[in-house]
Amino acid sequence: MRKYLFQRIIYMLITLFIIVTATFFLMKMMPGSPFNNLGGKMTDEQRVLLEAKYGLDQPLPVQYFKYMTGMVQGDFGVSFQYNNRPVTDIILDRIGPSAHLGAQALIIGSILGVILGMIAAIKHNTWIDYGSNIIAVLGISIPSFVFAGLLQYYLAVKLQLFPVSFWEGPIYTVLPTIALMIFPMAICARFMRTEMLEVLGSDYIELARAKGVKNSSIMFRHAMRNALIPVVTVLGPMTVSLMTGTLVIEQIFAIPGIGEQFVLSISTSDYPVIMGTTILFAVLFVVVILIVDLLYGLIDPRIRLQGGKN
Amino acid sequence: MKSKWLYLLLVTLFTMTLVACGSGNDDSAQDNGAADDTSEEKVLNISSPSDIPTLDPIMTEDNVSTQWIDTIYEGLYRQAPGGEIVSGIAKIEETEVSEDGLTYTFHLREDAKWANGDPVTAHDFVYGWQRATDPANGSFYGNYLMSGKIKNATEIFAGDMAPEELGVKAADDYTFVVELEVPIPYFDSYVINSNFLPAHKEFVEEQGDKFSLSPDSILSNGPFKLTEWKADNGWTVEKNEDYWDAENVALDAINVKVIKETNTALSNYEVGDLDRVTLSGSQVNENRTNPEFMSLTESSVFYVKLNQESTEKSEYMQNVNFRKAIAKGFDKQAYIDVAYGNDSVPVDTLVPYEFVQHPESGEDFQTGNEALAYDVEAAQEFWNKAKEELGFEEVSVSFLSGDSDVAKKVSEVMKTELEKNLPGLTLETVNVPWAQQLDLMRSGDYELAVSGWGPDYKDAISFVDIFVTGGENNDVGYSNEEYDALVKAAKTELFNDPVKRFESLQQAEDILLEEAGIAPIMQRKTSVLSKSYVKGLEKMNPFGNNYSFKYVDIQK
Repeated sequence: MRKYLFQRIIYMLITLFIIVTATFFLMKMMPGSPFNNLGGKMTDEQRVLLEAKYGLDQPLPVQYFKYMTGMVQGDFGVSFQYNNRPVTDIILDRIGPSAHLGAQALIIGSILGVILGMIAAIKHNTWIDYGSNIIAVLGISIPSFVFAGLLQYYLAVKLQLFPVSFWEGPIYTVLPTIALMIFPMAICARFMRTEMLEVLGSDYIELARAKGVKNSSIMFRHAMRNALIPVVTVLGPMTVSLMTGTLVIEQIFAIPGIGEQFVLSISTSDYPVIMGTTILFAVLFVVVILIVDLLYGLIDPRIRLQGGKN
Repeated sequence: MKSKWLYLLLVTLFTMTLVACGSGNDDSAQDNGAADDTSEEKVLNISSPSDIPTLDPIMTEDNVSTQWIDTIYEGLYRQAPGGEIVSGIAKIEETEVSEDGLTYTFHLREDAKWANGDPVTAHDFVYGWQRATDPANGSFYGNYLMSGKIKNATEIFAGDMAPEELGVKAADDYTFVVELEVPIPYFDSYVINSNFLPAHKEFVEEQGDKFSLSPDSILSNGPFKLTEWKADNGWTVEKNEDYWDAENVALDAINVKVIKETNTALSNYEVGDLDRVTLSGSQVNENRTNPEFMSLTESSVFYVKLNQESTEKSEYMQNVNFRKAIAKGFDKQAYIDVAYGNDSVPVDTLVPYEFVQHPESGEDFQTGNEALAYDVEAAQEFWNKAKEELGFEEVSVSFLSGDSDVAKKVSEVMKTELEKNLPGLTLETVNVPWAQQLDLMRSGDYELAVSGWGPDYKDAISFVDIFVTGGENNDVGYSNEEYDALVKAAKTELFNDPVKRFESLQQAEDILLEEAGIAPIMQRKTSVLSKSYVKGLEKMNPFGNNYSFKYVDIQK
């Protein structure tokens, strides 16, 4: 296990290095300069001055080397669009709300989804099953911003049960969480139902039944565990995309999250912020993938994590 | 069996951490009580489409930064609503100008203070202006505004002189003297820009790289002070009781929330979280009958650039009839309706309406030359003449635009209109991201493109100067000797003759329009809903900061 972990971490570092390097050079190939975003008022001499100030006049390999040395020491540079503001501040200020909201939506959504899927499978071909199927199909096919808009209009503007927007306390998270959790809930319900049906029809469940094992024990100890494997697989990447902010939901509820910052930094060629956010997303991604792999072993003992044995 | 419990434990731990994370955000929940005014407090609640990019006065390039820097700082003069220039730290009625218009002496009031109690002196202005010209600071607007105007600024930006050699000095603590390289007849409105604000040397140097990044790293001297600023969430300014003119500042505080989605902002206004909201797109027509609806005139104009130095189509683009046909060949109202759906006004001219007035009669600069008015018949006549002169039956011209929704609609409406009205024309629309669009325009690699211009000071030359031969912002390649001469005269020998100068700028604009150097489209308007108790926001300023919050009041 320890050996396996060590190996995985080495691979993760290599992956990150490749991502950072590729992003750095691809980013520099984007058309446009970070300093001309306000129309035609800037002259060439002014641009040269600014490029010198931020070291953009140096050859690319030099810039790359400087960036990497800085990065290793924890210095991610300063933003261009937010004059002089350190990139770490920009990210730390915004990741909190995004992660909070994403985690809340993911946990509630996946738990509800798993329950919904299980009930649907157990009550196969009854109105409960059809009902949960309809919910799942709607949840997958209707985009979250439509839910967000409807929730906001009816519950906040018309009934005034919740605040319209902003990020000032738990009550403010209710509507965006509901809007965000619909999709993970629907996905989990779909996977869970399909897998459960398959598992419930398998031989070992029959055997357990024949042996007179209690129904609840069959469901939770034997069936659910196996049915969870595909759910965990899809939950991994979904965790990252939910926790790194969802642009549209953040905009609709005026949440100061990181989702929009990433898009904005690209459209304004704010190189240090693009790099900072890319690194953050990449790190989260590889870590989540590792966690998912470790979870497999916990859920299903047949999947053993054995590193370097062969 | 064991692993199942481990799994459950993991999930529980995960959930608990999240709950713990969540509670960290609760501290500001009680802030919201400010909206319902039980006391006499006058608090204005508004929204902003973005966070403040910077509050360093010399680094601002955008509307949001400019607006809030103006609100917390005060320079020599200040802009009252509607654009009147009034006394700030300097007493405007006491300012002395030398005969040749090259030396300005400002007399500062002695009761103005920084937020830490230090007096605001002429030395602070000297330092603030020098700071704006120091190339190490990289102020874009400082360079744009001061080069060639304030003595030695060009050399300082080029690195050939030290910032200390800038033509400004403190004759004594309260007398600030500025030397110019050329006379600037619009100097009063020119010094409104935030690059001309004073700076507290000791404080700025002590803060170093952190200057202006948080309320603690700002030392201001204006009618309000920044008390709270949360990234992408919002900020609060409170009345500065130590401001020299505090008795004339009505508001106690302004709460600003960052709301990027316009429908959200409107919903917030409807439930009473905001006192004022800016409308966009279809919201304008949907709310037109609301008694709280207002459309405010801006001094921004939009026009089609007709690139006369285009690499591929220059022979066409240099033909005046070809250009006139294009300029007159599209319905400007249709353009506004399709692309914006707001109250912007179609115009046939460059200098905005309600921007500058005749120095004696007070009449508007803009007399409404109709040479480039939309007129299909006339456009087709010019089009046929161009076809004859250039000997073509069919031609395709590219139209450069952005990749936003509005920009794509602009491309569509221009293509529909021009192809319908000018037989034989094909408009190839090119939609690229904004940064790339600017690159293409700068390198002259386009044929038609839409551009806008907002003034930096209250003078028609802010617009007319764009299209002089070789002008640094003239990327349409327009060139006319007579035009150049008129603009040059306005910049030099006519500085002391405001009437003649005004007229020569009017003539220059006429020449540009008669020759279809550009194809004007519209002057922008902003539509808002504003509660009736909000006073002093009925007009937008013609340049610089959009609103002057010093003069805003709430009367319930």
